Amino acid sequence: MRYRLAGLLSGLAFVALPGAFAQQAAPPPPAFAPANTTQEGARAMASTCAACHGTHGKAAPGAAVAGLAGRPAGETIQAMKDFREGKRPATLMHQIAKGFSEPEVAAMAEYFARQQ
Amino acid sequence: MRIDRRQFLKAGAAGLALGGLPGCAGVAGSTPKARVAVVGGGFGGATTARYIRMLDPAIEVVLIEPNAAFVSCPISNMVLGGFRTMADITTPYAGLARHGVKVVQDTATAIDLEKKQVRLARGAPVVFDRVVVSPGIDFMWEALPSMGSADAQSRVLHAWKAGPQTAMLRRQLEAMPDGGVFVMTIPLAPYRCPPGPYERACQVAAYFKAAKPRSKILLLDENGDVTSKGPLFKKAWSELYAGMIEYRPNSKAIDIDLAASTVKLEFGDQKGDVLNVLPPMKAGNVAAPFITANRRWCEVDWITFESKAARGVHILGDSLQIAPAMPKSATMANGHGKVCAAAIVSLLNGQAPNPSPTLINTCYSMVSDKLAIHVASVHKYDLNDRTFKAVPGAGGVSPAMNEAEGGYTMNWARNIWADTLA
Repeated sequence: MRYRLAGLLSGLAFVALPGAFAQQAAPPPPAFAPANTTQEGARAMASTCAACHGTHGKAAPGAAVAGLAGRPAGETIQAMKDFREGKRPATLMHQIAKGFSEPEVAAMAEYFARQQ
Repeated sequence: MRIDRRQFLKAGAAGLALGGLPGCAGVAGSTPKARVAVVGGGFGGATTARYIRMLDPAIEVVLIEPNAAFVSCPISNMVLGGFRTMADITTPYAGLARHGVKVVQDTATAIDLEKKQVRLARGAPVVFDRVVVSPGIDFMWEALPSMGSADAQSRVLHAWKAGPQTAMLRRQLEAMPDGGVFVMTIPLAPYRCPPGPYERACQVAAYFKAAKPRSKILLLDENGDVTSKGPLFKKAWSELYAGMIEYRPNSKAIDIDLAASTVKLEFGDQKGDVLNVLPPMKAGNVAAPFITANRRWCEVDWITFESKAARGVHILGDSLQIAPAMPKSATMANGHGKVCAAAIVSLLNGQAPNPSPTLINTCYSMVSDKLAIHVASVHKYDLNDRTFKAVPGAGGVSPAMNEAEGGYTMNWARNIWADTLA
């Protein structure tokens, strides 16, 4: 009964105010914790790359993907920007790159540049 | 190599039997500041052990794992397809020993919170300051009453924990006559590795196509549709293996008739030449005291992975009640391990853990010997709901199956195995 009523009401709202309904139905945007771009935070973020790029950005022997260790920060930052904007061919990195802000990318790039 | 490890294990067990591991300080000549016991040497536990030691070598880490070597679930479907060997997916634990992790080959039977020790099947208990519980999944055999016995479980295989069953299932497929039917049951989500069953269908089909082309594959899925990468798998099935794979959604297995080699469904029965049954799953048995969700999974504080049921107990990997859009995958467990390791190191050093942890999921599926598809996502911590959420606008799936990602799949495997164990 309750469900039916709710359905009816939302149905009416949809007819009457489609815009408002859509806004109401959309989940609230996530409230993500502020980026941690300290050296420790950068190390933790960069460690998420390791499954494909190797621990500390040092790719395993025979790996098909380039290691990130020791790469100048500017190169990594530019690559991530190009991935995000679809300017660099990718199978997957364009999707991952969109998950990180510019300050986050910069912090990770500096971290990888420090790895020798 | 093998002898060295066995000797090392023996020495480790002897040290434990003496009580306090007096001669096994984390740093030569100094007393370890704390000891962390890690239960389970899979992607979650092994990664945690390795990263704690890399972040703070003054913390002693004891990893308890029943198997002599790590056998990877990812890529194990390719062993069923005949494209990889058991050796390809097996990695020794020797790499962890090089980081100073003490690897104890034994089965953890219980976590004693009062005495702060892990009880073992054979050896003396391992005392800890904090414990990491990462036992993967166990099966809810009660959902399939005839499968309760060890005999039944040795005849109808799950092969959902890579190891002896992987090789056994491959042998069953090899022994099956051309024209036979391979029947696989898939439980309602959540279960370990959402795309795994559908990838397995592809791998078995690739083998049948080459070796026994009159054979069929029947997928009996309790879910209403393919749970991961659905359109991509269906395209692979129709384009690569036309007429070979039949997919039946909303098909709940309720028992197995072993004598008749038949899956009993809610509606009707299905006979097969080789049955591969994935029962419903729950947190690994040793984590049972910490189960808080649906009598199946463990809930944690996502900043530290500390159990909601017990302080000082960290749980991760497939045993967890997942956060929204978080799969039970190897990459996730590996990521859990790194967040958890960093949090434990912070806590043991009297510091606040990272308030802004990040996870990435990258999951490849091999739809043939060379072609692959992926699903990827980025997950960050939401302050309001205190859980990980997928970052909107990031992540996605492959536009189509392709050979480049077939290469990247093995690249991923090599790097994640190394990141977990090297």
